[in-house]
Amino acid sequence: MASKTAAKDIITLRGSAAIVSEFFGYAANSILYNRGVYPEESFGKVKKYGLPLLLTKDEGVKSFIANLNAQLSEWLEAGKLQRVVLVIMSMNTGEVLERWNFSIETDNEVVEKGVSREKSDKEIMREIQAIMRQIASSITYLPCLDEQCVFDVLAYTDTDVAVPFTWMESSDAKLIANPQMVKLHSFDTKIHKVNTLVSYKNDEEELDDEE
Amino acid sequence: MMIRTPVPKRARPIEPAPIIESPPTGSDHHRQLAIYEDPPSADPARREPYHEPLQQSEHMLCTYQCRQMVKADFLDALSNAEKQVQDYQSQLAELSDNFRKADEERKTFREKLSYAEQELAAAKGREQALHDQLLKEVNDSHERLKKELESSAKLQTKLENEQNLHKKAESTAAAAEDKSRELEAKLGHISQSIEKEKKRLNNELVHLKRDSKFSISKITVDLEKMEFRAQSSEKEVELLRKQQEDLQSKFSECFHHKSELEKKLTSLSFEDVSPKESDILVKHLQEELRNYESEVREARKLKSAHENIELINEKLLEEKSRRERAELQLPKLHEYELKINELEDELSAWKLMIQEIPGVSCRDDIRLRISALQKEVIDNLKKLGDVNAHLKQMEVILDKTQLDKQKTETEAVLAKEKADRLEAEVKRMNVMLSAVSEERNVLKTAIEDFKSKNEQAGGNASSSIMQELGSSILEREPYIKELEGDLFAQKEINTRQRDEIKSLHDRLNSEARRVKSLERENDRLRSEIFLLESKIGHGDFSAANTKVLRMVNTLAVGNDAKQTIEALQSELQRTKEKLQALEEYKSQSGNSGKMVDSYMSGKVAQLKEQIATLEKREERYKTVFADRISVFRRACCELFGYKIVMDERQHTNGIPVTRFTLQSIYAMNDNEKLEFEYESGNTNIVENSYTSTSEISQQVDIFVRKMNSIPAFTANLTVESFNRRTLS
Repeated sequence: MASKTAAKDIITLRGSAAIVSEFFGYAANSILYNRGVYPEESFGKVKKYGLPLLLTKDEGVKSFIANLNAQLSEWLEAGKLQRVVLVIMSMNTGEVLERWNFSIETDNEVVEKGVSREKSDKEIMREIQAIMRQIASSITYLPCLDEQCVFDVLAYTDTDVAVPFTWMESSDAKLIANPQMVKLHSFDTKIHKVNTLVSYKNDEEELDDEE
Repeated sequence: MMIRTPVPKRARPIEPAPIIESPPTGSDHHRQLAIYEDPPSADPARREPYHEPLQQSEHMLCTYQCRQMVKADFLDALSNAEKQVQDYQSQLAELSDNFRKADEERKTFREKLSYAEQELAAAKGREQALHDQLLKEVNDSHERLKKELESSAKLQTKLENEQNLHKKAESTAAAAEDKSRELEAKLGHISQSIEKEKKRLNNELVHLKRDSKFSISKITVDLEKMEFRAQSSEKEVELLRKQQEDLQSKFSECFHHKSELEKKLTSLSFEDVSPKESDILVKHLQEELRNYESEVREARKLKSAHENIELINEKLLEEKSRRERAELQLPKLHEYELKINELEDELSAWKLMIQEIPGVSCRDDIRLRISALQKEVIDNLKKLGDVNAHLKQMEVILDKTQLDKQKTETEAVLAKEKADRLEAEVKRMNVMLSAVSEERNVLKTAIEDFKSKNEQAGGNASSSIMQELGSSILEREPYIKELEGDLFAQKEINTRQRDEIKSLHDRLNSEARRVKSLERENDRLRSEIFLLESKIGHGDFSAANTKVLRMVNTLAVGNDAKQTIEALQSELQRTKEKLQALEEYKSQSGNSGKMVDSYMSGKVAQLKEQIATLEKREERYKTVFADRISVFRRACCELFGYKIVMDERQHTNGIPVTRFTLQSIYAMNDNEKLEFEYESGNTNIVENSYTSTSEISQQVDIFVRKMNSIPAFTANLTVESFNRRTLS
């Protein structure tokens, strides 16, 4: 957590990494709920970032996301994480339908020298809130996922990162051919800047084929 | 109006008394009066200009008429003079008014001049300041232009370098494409050769299978034959054993008998038996011994044959077992064939995949191609970074130039306005100066006229004023000249400033053009950045800086799926091993006649060895038979007198027929040949040129057709040919 002084403005590397990994956990839960990857009844409501958000009650998914967040936090503190991608695929065909791309820009000076930055926590929370709202409203333009879907998480790291035991190096980046892309808001802790982008399969080609 | 108190008169030089001629009257014009003038010694207070004619009149010593005339003349002159004076006064008043006006105007002009001077000084100062500013701006714009030119030169060099790199890349890409085409052609050739080899190998395999089947069938037939033979030989062996036993028993009996006989012989020798009977007995015994020895030899031969038969039986058993093993492995052969087909399908699929990937000719090229593509992505990302940096620099430069442009535009506008104002003022000044100079000229001419008139009229008061005016005007002339010079200089400065403003305008236009080009480049770079960002958003990455990691425990995979995954992985490994084996086989598939499996190749070698031994046996049998048959033929020829040649033929209906050609040893020539056909137990004579002769045909009719006896015919023919020979 961010080191809390009387002014609550100082952000350290560890605090920023915790904020970003926490954000990713809530964003992943929000995406899984809004896209219908898991049934609605498997989610419970909590309050975070000034919004009512939904977290999964499935122990498997919960532990998966918890392990994921822990590893992401470690990589963020080391300044080795470049991107995190949440991929939604069809269970039957394995086709990649959506890619939620969270690219991370790290201030290397903070990682190398251990300095801290100043930014209001409220400002950061407001920025994250805007992204969460956009994720929730993405169902208006994203195509419907009529079939059963599964999700996967890819982490783009530096090449000198040691691969943990529960991870493996993948040559398949699970790309979508000719995707539609929508850029969402970004938030900045002055140490880590997170840009959000969703790319999805172009549904118009399927409709043209059907016609 | 006549002035009562006349103005004091000016001192005049002593002049002779002027002669005033009275105005000529009508009657008195012929008379001329000589007026005497007193010398000028009168009191100056008394000297009055208007009284000169009166003094003159005082001195006139003429008569009353003359006085009256003179008075009249004088009055006339006085009135005229008064009129003139009035005129002069009016003129003077006018002149004084004019002078006052001119003075006022002069004052106003002076004020205006001073104002203009002040304005000029201020304008000069402003112009100087503007000039300094403009110089500074020009220097700044010069420096900026230089920097921009330097940056543009650098960009041009970079562009040229990038173009060269692009050309090099294009050339290398073209070369790589050519290489890929060549490699693809080679791959095509290789694949064709591989397919041909495959076909050849398949054909060889089919042939080998057929041969193996044929050999197997042959071997089975041989085996059956050998079995029959073995059975018959076993039976013979049993018979021979029995015979051997009998013979042995007989031999033992004979031996016993021999021993008894020898005993008897010895006893007989004492008893003096007749030598003839003993000899006969000995001979008989010797004959029996010889017979028994021959029988023993035959028994030994039979024993060796029996041993051979046992060996043959063992070999038969071995061949049976081999046949069983070959039969067991035949279904495996089918399985291997199916696997080969599957592997071939996989290979073709892999080849199609390799063909779809551009620049890849074999499996190893995939990695190289992937690494090359990753390098290209890295280079593109580097270029993107450079382009971004360049774009930012260009944006900064663009903003700066725009600001400078706006500043210079505003300054140019201000300078223009100032220059216009100055020009207007200068024009006004010029106009005023011209007007003042015209007035001055007019005043000069008026003053000169006035002077001349005053000189004529003797008016001194106004002339002094005019002289003063003239002197003041003369004093102002250099000042006016200075002003004119300043105006001229100002004009020159203004023209110079106009020229500078024009040049600045031109520079502004060029800067505006440059700004537009920079904006266009900015748009292009933005579009490039958008494309590159879309590529990055698509998920592309460079393997040199980034690696993609994925968590192993995904939630969508259940236990069944894990098992299927494991099974698929094991199957993948097996297919990979098969693929490796197939590749090894392909590398070793240069030799013909080898089977897919090493065991099959050994089996084939064994079968070949068996075939070789059987062929050797067959050749041995053939040689033995040839020897035997030649002996038999020679014997038949000597015994029956005919050389017999036998050959197998086929009838037109397909039935095999044996033809015997007989030539008598007593034949006179080679054409004397008899031909017989042996078919299913029946022997028929064949007509030829020899048998169609009358003698032979007669004999054929008699012996063959009527008596149905070919031996009689041949015997008769032999006797006749022997007789003919002996007689000849």
